Amino acid sequence: MKRLFLLLLFLLPPCQFAGAHHVLGRPTYSLSEDSNTPPSMQVETQIGAYFVSYMAFPAFPKPNEPGRVSVYATRLDDGAPFQGEITFSVRDDSWLDGWFASRKEVLGVQRPNDNTHRQGFIFKNEGDYIITAEFEDGGEPYIIDFPLRIGEPVAVGPIGVAVGVITVILVGVNLVQRKRLPRAGKQGRRAAS
Amino acid sequence: MIYCSVDGALMMTHPGLPEFWGICILIMMILTVVWAMTAPMTAMKTAMHGAGALTLARLPVVGNGVRLLAANRWVPLVLKLAMVSLFLLVIAAGLFGTPFPERNLATVLTWNLWWGGLIFSIFFLGSAWCAICPWDALAQWLVRRRLWRRARPNNSLNLRVPRWLRGVWPALWLLVGLTWLELGMGITLDPHATALVALLIVVLATASLAVFRRKAFCRYFCPVGRTVGSYSQLAMVELRPIDASVCARCKTLDCYHGNQEIEPCPTGLVMGSLKQNNYCTSCGNCTQSCPHANIAWRLRPPSIEAVRGARPQTDEAWFMVALLALTALHGLTMMPFWEAWMRALARAIGDSGGLLWSFSLGLAACLISVGGLYALLAAATHRLTGGSQPFRRYLTSFAFVALPLAFAYHMAHNLNHLVRESAGVGGVLRNPLGVGALPLGMAEKQIRHMNMLIYQDVVFALQAGLLVLGFLIAVRIVRHRGASLLEAGAGSQGWRLFPMLLFAAGISGFNLWLLMQPMVMRM
Ligand code: SF4
Ligand code: SF4
Repeated sequence: MKRLFLLLLFLLPPCQFAGAHHVLGRPTYSLSEDSNTPPSMQVETQIGAYFVSYMAFPAFPKPNEPGRVSVYATRLDDGAPFQGEITFSVRDDSWLDGWFASRKEVLGVQRPNDNTHRQGFIFKNEGDYIITAEFEDGGEPYIIDFPLRIGEPVAVGPIGVAVGVITVILVGVNLVQRKRLPRAGKQGRRAAS
Repeated sequence: MIYCSVDGALMMTHPGLPEFWGICILIMMILTVVWAMTAPMTAMKTAMHGAGALTLARLPVVGNGVRLLAANRWVPLVLKLAMVSLFLLVIAAGLFGTPFPERNLATVLTWNLWWGGLIFSIFFLGSAWCAICPWDALAQWLVRRRLWRRARPNNSLNLRVPRWLRGVWPALWLLVGLTWLELGMGITLDPHATALVALLIVVLATASLAVFRRKAFCRYFCPVGRTVGSYSQLAMVELRPIDASVCARCKTLDCYHGNQEIEPCPTGLVMGSLKQNNYCTSCGNCTQSCPHANIAWRLRPPSIEAVRGARPQTDEAWFMVALLALTALHGLTMMPFWEAWMRALARAIGDSGGLLWSFSLGLAACLISVGGLYALLAAATHRLTGGSQPFRRYLTSFAFVALPLAFAYHMAHNLNHLVRESAGVGGVLRNPLGVGALPLGMAEKQIRHMNMLIYQDVVFALQAGLLVLGFLIAVRIVRHRGASLLEAGAGSQGWRLFPMLLFAAGISGFNLWLLMQPMVMRM
């Protein structure tokens, strides 16, 4: 009975995303029904009159490895899928590049296939990128940004910042104390004499 | 496990408390309120230095451990080293490990095990967590540059905390901020963000220790420490003088000042006048420094401090009420309908993206409605009881009612997470960074759910028991504190406390309703 139930779980229609607690705007990861394929990343968000599901496959593409993003946008009022064109573009989201040289490159303009807009990509370089999906409906522009990481994450930044801040505090306090303590000692000796 | 459909998406949920339990608890609550309004009241004595309290060190098996901890500096140090190692592993896993939350030690250990289990530990061990807290240990080692002996000079500017920062308001705002990060930003599902928050707290604790005297971070700022401190007023243990008269005659006050070897009390407590657990961090400095060996851990009835011993300040009172609101919010956000509510609110106010404005409004509404309801019913009680005492005294005194209600629901809610979502901990401990791990599939989730740590019916019974216990303690608090506020002799005037009883019953009823709903799995 238990096995039959598990089998039924595997056969659940893939369009019905089955998840635990998820927070809009935050990536969640899942395996497809075929566990040999790598995991995918989903982000769900709400913008204007639309609820948008974005999926990146694979979840962590490597440089020079083909991947794709899919966007499924439905109207909040009647659930009708968006049927117009979506323009996909990309920009670098790495610390310095993101601030100083954030060039936006158009990946492509896509029409829906089976209600889903799909865009393929291949990145040459590792890094953090932002994929932007843009469309227009009822004269309103819709612009949605999603994160995409190519290659392994580099995480020394936060540790460096924490160590740096702590060092500055400790050195600063130490310098102040070097001045304060002899002064306090002198005052104490004067009071005692 | 139940599958709930939310806007076409399938969600895995834990079953809620069965109706049978709901009805039983409801009947018990109604009968208790009727009894509380009609039974004669007598104000209990507030003295708490009770002769006859059971000293833990005298107990057969536990006593050895307690004596070892109290007399030996090495045991707490080894525990601290272990906690700091684990903490550093959490940071490493969060920053360098897999982003799949259910496969990464940072998220599983922090949110499922530690945050879930910490609340239970408070009932049995009081603020024991603070004694081995890795944030404080790291800050202490970095600033004092000593593993455990007293450091002279202590490498801190030793400034007094500015008046506007004294009190638990900073901790309250940080707790609200932490809740926002946890439930609004969803850092419970993000190992990287979990590690960043952990690092940030180390930086804050270190900065505070380097600038202010004693441990201002523990006393005023730490949201976890103040939560632990508030709840520890309902703990079954306390650290108190063995003989109050020895403290009364004491000239050295080593507990407060420390001695050559031992640091002073980090939160500035004088043992002889200690009546409340909330600022004691269980560090054990006083047990080591007291020249008369006059301090001991002892057992007590868990509700005694909240019922009669503690005297809250305004900030502490609002902290307790906020805790109540935030625990309810935790429950609400894990209901399948929460997301639909947020989406509807977002549409109404034109919010987009992660709907953080909508969540922030929900958070504010929760705080304001619980706080407002409390203030309103405290005012009604003030009116009904003749108002001979200032309203502020009512506000601060009755705030203790919030404590058992929040604590009971918090434990009942966390029990679900602990028992139903901890099955994968072994795997995460074996592979803390989740190298090569894949996200949790549906089948594995199902298997984990079936491998619960204890039987489901036992979970239901425990949850029901916790709610009942919380409500009964809340009613005791209303009656005792009400009796001491009533104009002339409390006697059979319990009906005058009806508004506060209504508050306790209303909040318990709401918490019961939350527990009876299916709850969305965290990971
Ligand atoms: S605990 Fe010990 S040091 Fe502190 S006041 Fe009492 S007797 Fe003195
Ligand atoms: S010194 Fe004693 S009273 Fe002060 S925090 Fe430590 S254990 Fe508690």
